[in-house]
Amino acid sequence: MAGGNEVNVNESRMVVPLNTFVLISNFKIAYNMLRRPDGSFDRHLAEFLDRKVQANASPVNGVVSFDHILDRQTNLLARIYCPAPDPADVELPQLVAIYELQKAPSPNPFPVIIFFHGGSFAHSTSSSAIYDTLCRRLVTLCGGAVVISIDYRRSPEYRFPCAYDDGWTALKWASCQPWLRSGKDAKLRVFLAGDSSGGNIAHHVAVRAVHSGINISGNILLNPLFGGNKRTESELKLDGKYFVALQDRDWYWRAFLPEGADRDHPACNPFGPNGVELEGLPFPKTLLVVASLDLTQDWQLAYAEGLKKAGHEVQLLYREQATIGFYFLPNTEHYHEVMKEIKSFVRSDL
Amino acid sequence: MPKDAIDTNPLVLRNTFAMGRHPYHPQPTDEDSSSASETDTLLAGVGYTVRSSDLLNVADRLEKLDSTIIAAAAAGVPPEFLCSSAVHYNPSDLASWIDSLLTEVPPQSSPSMWMDAVCLPPPSSFSIDAHRLGEEEDAGIRLVHLLMTCADSIQHDDHVLARSLIDEMRLLLPLIGVGYGIGKVSIFFLDALDRRISFLPQPTKSVLEDEILYSHFYEACPNIKFAHFTANQAILEAFNGCDRVHVIDLSLMHGLQWPALIQALALRPGGPPALRLTGIGPQTPKVGLRLAELARSVGVPFSFHAVAAGRLDSVRVKPGEAVAINSVLQLHLLLSETGPIDSVLTLIRELRPKILTVVEQEADHNKPAFLDRFTEALFYYSTLFDSLAASGGGGGRVDVGCSAPAEVYLQREICNIVCCEGSERVERHEPMGRWRVRLGRAGFEPMHLGSNAFRQASMLLKLFSSEGYGVEEVEGCLSLSWHGRLLITASAWRARADSAVAPPACHRYIVW
Repeated sequence: MAGGNEVNVNESRMVVPLNTFVLISNFKIAYNMLRRPDGSFDRHLAEFLDRKVQANASPVNGVVSFDHILDRQTNLLARIYCPAPDPADVELPQLVAIYELQKAPSPNPFPVIIFFHGGSFAHSTSSSAIYDTLCRRLVTLCGGAVVISIDYRRSPEYRFPCAYDDGWTALKWASCQPWLRSGKDAKLRVFLAGDSSGGNIAHHVAVRAVHSGINISGNILLNPLFGGNKRTESELKLDGKYFVALQDRDWYWRAFLPEGADRDHPACNPFGPNGVELEGLPFPKTLLVVASLDLTQDWQLAYAEGLKKAGHEVQLLYREQATIGFYFLPNTEHYHEVMKEIKSFVRSDL
Repeated sequence: MPKDAIDTNPLVLRNTFAMGRHPYHPQPTDEDSSSASETDTLLAGVGYTVRSSDLLNVADRLEKLDSTIIAAAAAGVPPEFLCSSAVHYNPSDLASWIDSLLTEVPPQSSPSMWMDAVCLPPPSSFSIDAHRLGEEEDAGIRLVHLLMTCADSIQHDDHVLARSLIDEMRLLLPLIGVGYGIGKVSIFFLDALDRRISFLPQPTKSVLEDEILYSHFYEACPNIKFAHFTANQAILEAFNGCDRVHVIDLSLMHGLQWPALIQALALRPGGPPALRLTGIGPQTPKVGLRLAELARSVGVPFSFHAVAAGRLDSVRVKPGEAVAINSVLQLHLLLSETGPIDSVLTLIRELRPKILTVVEQEADHNKPAFLDRFTEALFYYSTLFDSLAASGGGGGRVDVGCSAPAEVYLQREICNIVCCEGSERVERHEPMGRWRVRLGRAGFEPMHLGSNAFRQASMLLKLFSSEGYGVEEVEGCLSLSWHGRLLITASAWRARADSAVAPPACHRYIVW
């Protein structure tokens, strides 16, 4: 680890608001307790410490949510968020929840966002408070989107490709729901979105989608998790400085990738030596958000380059002085500006 | 819809009406907290309670913790709090969580519940036969609409409309698979509504029948087992260091909770205490004898005392003994308008227990309006039936024997909630949030069940139950969940030091 550690801790405190510092430091310390040197994970303690919320079919800030099993065979759970229906449309208030499943939220075209939460493939669930809050905000932000947050199987108990399989199952499920189609052409306007490992999953599900003829309207990747064998400049320069240490990143890759694989595995390094060709495929446009204080940024920028070289549209938002996790609390310009870009990205061709 | 469509059967309805609890309520606007005593609203929105005035302090302590970890790593010695046996409490209260780590109390060699690996037969995988998705789903949704409309008409005393709706619903039933899911639970609710407006008397119950149904329910799903092993873990920890302990069980029944505690006490480092067990209420014959025999065989000095139902006031505690009072699914029975909940809680406090364990259904079936109660119950019991089915019973599967009585057990609760009123309606489940207020008013404060209890519960659940069950921690209590939906919550309490205990009035006969 890089030296001068006491100074490092103070640096991260200076670049984020106090409550953000408290939140992310808390995660850093808690997560430290869960990773064991032998590669195992204290899942019980992780579930205990994770702050979760229940789904709520009563409108809260104009959004309702409910949990739904997408696939009985794998017990794949998702939390679905919808704009609350107009009370005038409903006979009995208690029937609100049931209507949501039957009716599209609007006669006009609306976006469907399949969201993959972050956590480096090991942490968090769709009921984690940080993600429940974020998904609720996305519903309103995007003018009444349906957000489907996937509770994918996590490592180290479930390695590659389980999370991708779950993402694919979710996309197939969504493509079979008549109530998710909208507009005169009754189209599913689906976006794949995620932060950290969720961003990585969104990419790989999109790849599977384009090979299978399912049309994705766009990908939204927030600080997506990519890597490679090489140590990049940003990794060396920022190691341990802003909440994240390189050895922790390595641990998560070892926990997710197949045993014996290295970080040039295509799951980790999609445009690396083992990457898959994307040229000529109808890959969706991508909104890529990179934080300048994220030590993995070189890999994210390389990802953007890889997409561009393959002829695909990338909108890159490079946020100076942003750290990981800036999108959890609405207390910075980074948060507000990125949310604005997400909104226009999603609504641009509705 | 394509043939290989992912399943979307009407069961999903039970998930759509989550029980309205949102403990970490996201704030409507991003306001700054104006007063120092207020909590930071943004952190509250993501599950953490930190006073705004405390933020700086908490940040400092986080930095200190971080430096400790770094320094320890450099020295090659991980700090105490990183070891897996460290126990954590109430992670939402960041300030106290961090403090508990910083004060680095060496982890207690916490005694743990030791259970025989009494496994249910491995649950058979639950698969729904392919069915005509569209038609059946529509019928299921229509049935639920009708049920609620019928309940609404009953609330408005329009029994004529209610009767016609019931007739209409009976015509729908053949269109839905009634062997599982929403169909099965709808039948029970439909029958209950019918019973209510027909003014049929409640079927007579026998104590023996109750006991049989209870033991089938106990076997069929992990709910009661969860209640028992979570309460036992808390009691065990509370009894740490005590030589003479007294457990008072408010409803002994078959005494299923106690063999595990006796065995755990036998294995306690330092040797077992002398254990007195007082069992209140209906109990199977010779339960005391059987427990005494077990205790003798594992070397725990034991004595047993049976007390008639409702005679908590006749229980005596001896000076110097640590008392645990255990209430599994009992307190809600006392909540009717004329119910004795307040006097019972006072009596409990007067016994000066070291710990009071309270386990209750996580549902609100005591709302004043009939329609509200009905709706909550419909979705709660749908979830329960769904979980029963996945636990190896249910569906129209006659090959698995023990589900039907377990369902009858639940059906009785449904009938009570839907058909009865006044003092006859005893299944007045309330969520833990309300119990917290009630127990607080009665002079109790929560004892947080920590990560150790959580871990135990998770591991035991894995042994006993099928996929889909989980444990959730909320504000120091542990809940059993089914696909994320909370079913039953276990909690522990002690009398607040400052709460005055009123001198006992003359003997009160508590009826329950």
